[in-house]
Amino acid sequence: MKRFAKWGLTMPATIAVVVALVIPVLLTIATTFGEPKGAFSTYTAFFNSGFRTNILYRTLRIALITTAISLVIGFLTAYVIARMPGRLKSIAIIAAVFPLLTGVVVRSFAWLIILGKNGIVNDTLMALGIISEPLSMLYTEGSVIVAMVYLFVPLMILTLTGVLEGIPREVVEASTSLGATPIATFFQVILPLAVPGLIVGAVLVFTGSFTSYATPQLLGGEQMMMMGTLLYQRAMVTFDWVGASTIAAIMVVITIAVVTIMSRMARRLNPMAV
Amino acid sequence: MTVSLTIENLSAHYGSTQVLKDLSISVAAGELVSLLGSSGCGKTTTLRIVAGFLEPTSGRVRLGDRDLTTLPAHARDIGLVFQNYALFPHLTVMENVAFGLKQRGIAKPDRAKRAGSMLDRVGLSHLADRLPSALSGGQKQRVALARALVIEPPLLMFDEPLSNLDAKLRVDMRVEIRQLQKANGTTSLYVTHDQEEAFSISDRVAIMNAGRIMQLDTPEVLYRKPANAFVASFVGFENLVPMKVVSRDGATVTAEAAGGAKLSFSQDVFGPIKDDFVLATRADGLVARQSGEGIPATLGTRTYLGRAYQYKCVTVAGEITANGALSEPFDPGTSAVLVPVAEQCCILDPEA
Amino acid sequence: MTTRIHPLLGAFAALVFLFLLAPLVIIVGASLSDTSYLTFPPQGLTLRWFANIFEISAFRNTAITSFQVAILGTALSLLMGIPAAYALNRYRVELPKWLSTLFVLPILVPEIVFGFSLLKSITIGFGMPVYPSLILGHALLVLPYSVRVVGASLAAFDFSVEEAAISLGCPPLKTFMTVVLPNIRAGVIAAFILAFITSINDVSISVFLTGPGISTLPIQILAHMEQFFDPTIASVSVLLMLVTVGVMAIVEATLGLTFLTK
Repeated sequence: MKRFAKWGLTMPATIAVVVALVIPVLLTIATTFGEPKGAFSTYTAFFNSGFRTNILYRTLRIALITTAISLVIGFLTAYVIARMPGRLKSIAIIAAVFPLLTGVVVRSFAWLIILGKNGIVNDTLMALGIISEPLSMLYTEGSVIVAMVYLFVPLMILTLTGVLEGIPREVVEASTSLGATPIATFFQVILPLAVPGLIVGAVLVFTGSFTSYATPQLLGGEQMMMMGTLLYQRAMVTFDWVGASTIAAIMVVITIAVVTIMSRMARRLNPMAV
Repeated sequence: MTVSLTIENLSAHYGSTQVLKDLSISVAAGELVSLLGSSGCGKTTTLRIVAGFLEPTSGRVRLGDRDLTTLPAHARDIGLVFQNYALFPHLTVMENVAFGLKQRGIAKPDRAKRAGSMLDRVGLSHLADRLPSALSGGQKQRVALARALVIEPPLLMFDEPLSNLDAKLRVDMRVEIRQLQKANGTTSLYVTHDQEEAFSISDRVAIMNAGRIMQLDTPEVLYRKPANAFVASFVGFENLVPMKVVSRDGATVTAEAAGGAKLSFSQDVFGPIKDDFVLATRADGLVARQSGEGIPATLGTRTYLGRAYQYKCVTVAGEITANGALSEPFDPGTSAVLVPVAEQCCILDPEA
Repeated sequence: MTTRIHPLLGAFAALVFLFLLAPLVIIVGASLSDTSYLTFPPQGLTLRWFANIFEISAFRNTAITSFQVAILGTALSLLMGIPAAYALNRYRVELPKWLSTLFVLPILVPEIVFGFSLLKSITIGFGMPVYPSLILGHALLVLPYSVRVVGASLAAFDFSVEEAAISLGCPPLKTFMTVVLPNIRAGVIAAFILAFITSINDVSISVFLTGPGISTLPIQILAHMEQFFDPTIASVSVLLMLVTVGVMAIVEATLGLTFLTK
């Protein structure tokens, strides 16, 4: 009875994940090796294509920049939130997390209104007389990055607030009592202890922005393709399913590699691990 | 260089509750004074105000001739030993101990030398390169101690440093702490809820309750001559019998307890005795006898203590715990007289 | 920690909050603008763009589809996830460690890859119709919430209560429904909310699993934007936001937002 229970209870979920996720994804990756031109021909084709490698590097670049900016903004904001008195802190956390709940379309679309030719930024700059013609800000790498940062900062704030709360108050007080100014305490005590959590947050943002679809679709358009939009285009517009699978395989490899390596590093660097 | 700590009229609030009420205390240079009390009495609040982690509503803190009250916490130059050790988890034992020296701009080789010799003193040189997670509780506490001592602060403060250690270790560590403190001659403020701990290592103890100091004296005086009913029951005076003076004859005062029992006390022994007072005794301050001048009682449960019997007695004045000689056992239910032993008694003002 | 924050830092944090919340305010404002193009601040106030949502059959239909898929997908994921979470907690020692990782895979695998593979293998390869594929996809997408968030509640649950019930004669299934479930209510409801909101807003999976007459609201918004760039998009976005707030308000009423402060 017990044996049934422990396996039987997990069976539906296990079967669903294996049949509908693991196997299909493995099959997708497998199809990339079955081309008549050779097992790795699709990959050589990918990396020989300047157009496609451009997109890969662009995606990596945007993901890295997004991660870096989100890290700084998120950490500083989390630092402030962690020091807020109880009531204000709860409100601040809810305010920071609320955007997370509104969905990717809404949050990306807002930037079309803000950065568009008739958008708020242009209107304000023109009204102030700083420019005479509206700037073309959309469909650039910058607009994609801004929208991505907007998308991921709440996640970073949430993760990092948790990290900072995990640093025992007494340790910070000990540092102060030993003569460390607030800045010295930040760099010598708080930052080192926050690093593992920072890594976790960075990994989440990096993989999220690297595999993003909706945001580059809205704000990047055809000129500013990323891996996600390229995959969709190959799959549903040009019906090049092998090409799409190749892109998918590359995305999976990079994602899993980043997650595994960084998670291991985070765990090793964690001095507070029980 | 050793200085005195003066706390003047400290008041503090937590929200609308007043947690410290006009508290004043002086710790002489080189002295170890303990703040003793149960949780909520304000002892930790006092320590945190002196450390600079809490702002008082009013009052001043002076260390020597420096006024600390407005100084930020990192500028106060006080050595702190925390309850949970508060070691830096990401730094080695050596780096932990050297941290304060680093903040003071002392060069690396000097730091290593001083921290190294301090580690020697606490017997932990062989663990210098370990991380705190690899240490036992007692070892962590020694590192915390070394870290606070190595900066040679004019004041040391201990926030219940031993409460997370097991009983045997607690006794060993408190002796070590006292020895180190005396050897250095550093003025120290020690916060604890453990009476035995406070009494065994302190020059003086302040027993606190509800934000006030109830009595500040040497352990001997506190133990023998509590100044009020709170301190008396804190140090173990189980019996508190209210009495009223009925006649005076020179130095001898005769007083009556509820129920009419009359007892005589000499003002030569107890000092001036007011008309209304409370007689405080421990269990061995009242002896159960067949007859004599004392409080009549009906004896209840008898416990064998090895050196004496102890009886729970019912009297008109209330329930009293008294001891009785092994040679004179009483069965439960018998009547006896509880005779006070002058040296074990205390006369107190009635509690407000 | 002392609560003294350097004023510059505090100002920075305030700016960050402004950055986070202003765009949402802008969308709300734009949805009310009495202009046929998107603009902020709104010029003139009107609710006609909200009315327009219901007049456009595509929005009407996809809104219903999105809602149905979210409910069914979340329900399916809870049906699979709660027993799995229970087993992982109860029989923790006896189950292999990789099992718990398995249930978190939907987060590790890029959504867009998952959606594409689902389309290829299940919808086309296996022949499952679009609608069930969509539900299955969403159910798997939010499975990690069902397992992890409910799991957190189960970790705090004292299983000896369950044993007491069984020893008093209560059969296992009834015990689960009447003793365990009510006590992990908070986790289940939290998982439901997070799952529902994730499903309603999903793009990367739904974009592959659309068919004749079947599409989700976010996908429809994207499609609409390509043709018409009018305030209807803003009002639909506001609608989506309101649904999110509405779901959370229902929780607040039943449970209090205690689960947020985890």
